[in-house]
Amino acid sequence: MRIKFVRISVIFIFLFLGSNLLYLEIFRGREFRHKSFKNRIRLLPQEGCRGKILDRNNHPIVDNELSYDVFILPQDSSAQTQKLLQEISRVLQRPIQDLNIALKSQFVAPFAPILLVNDIEIRQAIMLEELKTDFPGIIVQTRVKRHYPFGRLASHLIGYLGEIDPWRLKKLADYGYKSKDIVGFSGIEEKYDYYLRQEEGGLSIEVDHRGRFVRVVGYRPPKNGKDIQLTIDLRLQKIVEEIMRDRIGSVIIMEPGQGEILAMASFPNFNPAIFIKKSNSLLKDILHHPEAPLLNRAISGTYPAGSIFKLVVAIAALETEKLDLKRRFFCSGKMQIGKQEFSCWDVHNDENLQEAISHSCNIFFYHTGLLLGGQLIHDWGLQLGFYKPTGIDLPYEASGFVPSPLWRSLFRLRNWSAGDTANLSIGQAELLVTPLQVCRMMAILANQGKLVTPHVVKSIAGKEILWPEKRIIGIHLKKKTLDYLRQGLRRVVMDKDGTAHNLSSLSVSVAGKTGTAQVAAGAPHGWFAGFFPYKDPKFVLCVFLEHGGSGYAASSLAKQIIEKMLQEGLIES
Amino acid sequence: MKILMIAILIGIIGIMSIYSSTYQNQIRLWRMQIIWLFLGIVSFLFFLHYDYRRFWDITYFLYVAVIILLWLVLILGSVRLGAQRWLRVAWFNLQPSELAKLIIVIFLSRYFSKKSALDIGLLSSKFGILRAIVIPFLFVAFPVGLIIEQPDLGSGVIMIVIFLGMLYLADIRLKYIFIFLFLIIFSLPFCWHFLRDYQKARLMVFLNPNADPLGAGYTLLQSKIAIGSGGFWGRGWLLGTQSQLRFLPESHTDFIFATFAEERGLLGSVALLILYYFLIREGLLIAQRTQEQFGRLLAGGISFMLGIQVSINIAMTMGLVPIVGLPLPLFSYGGSSMVVTFIALGILANIEKRRAVF
Repeated sequence: MRIKFVRISVIFIFLFLGSNLLYLEIFRGREFRHKSFKNRIRLLPQEGCRGKILDRNNHPIVDNELSYDVFILPQDSSAQTQKLLQEISRVLQRPIQDLNIALKSQFVAPFAPILLVNDIEIRQAIMLEELKTDFPGIIVQTRVKRHYPFGRLASHLIGYLGEIDPWRLKKLADYGYKSKDIVGFSGIEEKYDYYLRQEEGGLSIEVDHRGRFVRVVGYRPPKNGKDIQLTIDLRLQKIVEEIMRDRIGSVIIMEPGQGEILAMASFPNFNPAIFIKKSNSLLKDILHHPEAPLLNRAISGTYPAGSIFKLVVAIAALETEKLDLKRRFFCSGKMQIGKQEFSCWDVHNDENLQEAISHSCNIFFYHTGLLLGGQLIHDWGLQLGFYKPTGIDLPYEASGFVPSPLWRSLFRLRNWSAGDTANLSIGQAELLVTPLQVCRMMAILANQGKLVTPHVVKSIAGKEILWPEKRIIGIHLKKKTLDYLRQGLRRVVMDKDGTAHNLSSLSVSVAGKTGTAQVAAGAPHGWFAGFFPYKDPKFVLCVFLEHGGSGYAASSLAKQIIEKMLQEGLIES
Repeated sequence: MKILMIAILIGIIGIMSIYSSTYQNQIRLWRMQIIWLFLGIVSFLFFLHYDYRRFWDITYFLYVAVIILLWLVLILGSVRLGAQRWLRVAWFNLQPSELAKLIIVIFLSRYFSKKSALDIGLLSSKFGILRAIVIPFLFVAFPVGLIIEQPDLGSGVIMIVIFLGMLYLADIRLKYIFIFLFLIIFSLPFCWHFLRDYQKARLMVFLNPNADPLGAGYTLLQSKIAIGSGGFWGRGWLLGTQSQLRFLPESHTDFIFATFAEERGLLGSVALLILYYFLIREGLLIAQRTQEQFGRLLAGGISFMLGIQVSINIAMTMGLVPIVGLPLPLFSYGGSSMVVTFIALGILANIEKRRAVF
């Protein structure tokens, strides 16, 4: 009977359907339930604020501000969208073609919002928000953006922000960094990125089939980054950058006792905001600029030290007692060492060490250097902090270089000659130093023989940091040596023929040393390093002018800076 | 009476599912469905007392009437969801293709139940191919053509399948049925060109469900997610997110089974399958018990029609057959389907009652 066959078939068909239900609902149930969850749950990330960077008096150097981006949802009809684009182009005063291009190039799906224009003004944002009643497809989203209230001020110190690069991502992936994260590049932003960075929070919401909001399912508040207080004094930093403007070089002002950096400037500088806006042409300009504006000359630039290095020779000679305080040399303007004739920049006649420092006499230091020998000068250079990073809490610090007889025979395959010693004695030869190293060396004379670790961060999130890296090394110089050399540095300013006599007119007593470093090509570098007030030094100042001509140029810049500081009452007399 | 009880039970479960998937809407569709259920019960009771043998006499009249209705749909039907399937009558929309299925069953039952003067058995088993296949196919092809033209491929195909089922039940020689089947299969490649784009897309999606997850494959994917996420116990009434948040299209009509399976789980959907099975089994048993040829074919045909619609609809929500626009009888929202199904069940009950009289 056919009807019986139909009845049996029905049983089999229903068993088949039932077993399929079993398969879908039980065996693949978990998978489908997850898919259903993914269907309806959307995560809306919420960014916290990156930590602010404050100066020592808690004035912000870098903070955050809100920026506004315009998105549209292309799900409405195209006629409606075109009308909306017209309205947007009217408000933002941008050609509608640009908006159309943005719309077409970024279109993914009708429910995916498209970023039309970023970073519009708040006034425009409000006007666009008002369009929402007529065009529900427009979205104005706020975003927290790094804000630089002083523009280029302290740009090297701060660094800039950008999207994480593969190299950093690989290094930092274990610390919770993800691709497309915004991280610091150079300066405080890089070194303290881990503290500054915010933690992403967010909202998980349930949406319907058209992606419309239904209800909030969960919320984790974003965490703001920690604020970092620097040792920088914003007022000093401003003075320094104001005076330094349009020159190439760097200025460091440091507190000598602890090594707190009060101001640090490097020129040319850059505007960190352009890295946020990602305007390609500006970035290209910066990266291909012949004067390398991204280089922090204060810590990463290495230069011949010139006469500044004579202090190292002087300290070495006095400490090793190779030179008696009463010892005098005669400067006739030139001197024969080996087969070569070495000259001084002037004729200084008979002089002692203090006078030689004051005049910055080369001949005297040739003699002194020859008494010491190359190896001892090298050793004392190292002891006074050269040829190694100072340990400042900023990335990419250079170590500089101090040549030694051993190095010469190993890497230059030449023997060390007396001429090399002479050259090194006046800070030439292959010697390379960073302005910060010079500053720290000068601090030894200001703080009675302590080698400090310079640093720029005072506290993080209100907590003073006292890590061992900030240690101060005593180098146990004899009191006699220190007093004698300090007097010498004072005489540089006070003597009529001292190289920094121009600073004598200041109402604060300054002591220091100038330097004019010869370079292979171009004008010599100008150095001035000193401290003030003389009796109880509160500031160590180091001015470096790349191809600045002479130490005199550097000392006159120092004069301007100190004058301005006096004017603003920053120096207690 | 057993039939009525099961049908009402399925209808009530259906109303609950319709409520769940549409209670957020402005229009209270579940209230309408209650009215349809009530009208269905009334029609059932009417046809329970209407002697089915009178259909014998008015078969041709019914056939012509339904052809006219289908033709009217083509010229003045309202277009909804890209198809023109409804006729506006007074305050409701009539879907004549639902009626056409039942009338084709009645028509074929009459056609194949001509008695032989000599023999008690069916004359149709001795039909030649012309009388067995060609002539009845022409009668079926006419309304099927009108339905496919609407376009409503699903109902059209269902009617062809019902025709095949009726051929089988009418003891037509298997040889002829197979010849007919082969002819259909061989003509399929030619039919492909007559399909509309969305129909082609649906077929392609059936062959490869991941081909177009946001386009044609969307419905099937969402339907499978809905069914699968139900699990054993289901997510609970009014708690099925797939239908509540409207990820699942047609969640109260063609895909209502997915809505139900999501909220009631394996337990509920297997129970529903069992209810349908009992209903169909009851119909087939009535056919088996009936000796009178017209009644026997009619009961078998109605049961077959019901069974094929239920299985294809449920199979389609699980991606076992291509998606066609076909309601789940007694369960999906829709007046025409509900009332026509109750009429068919009423006829079934009447056949059983008459048999008892003899």
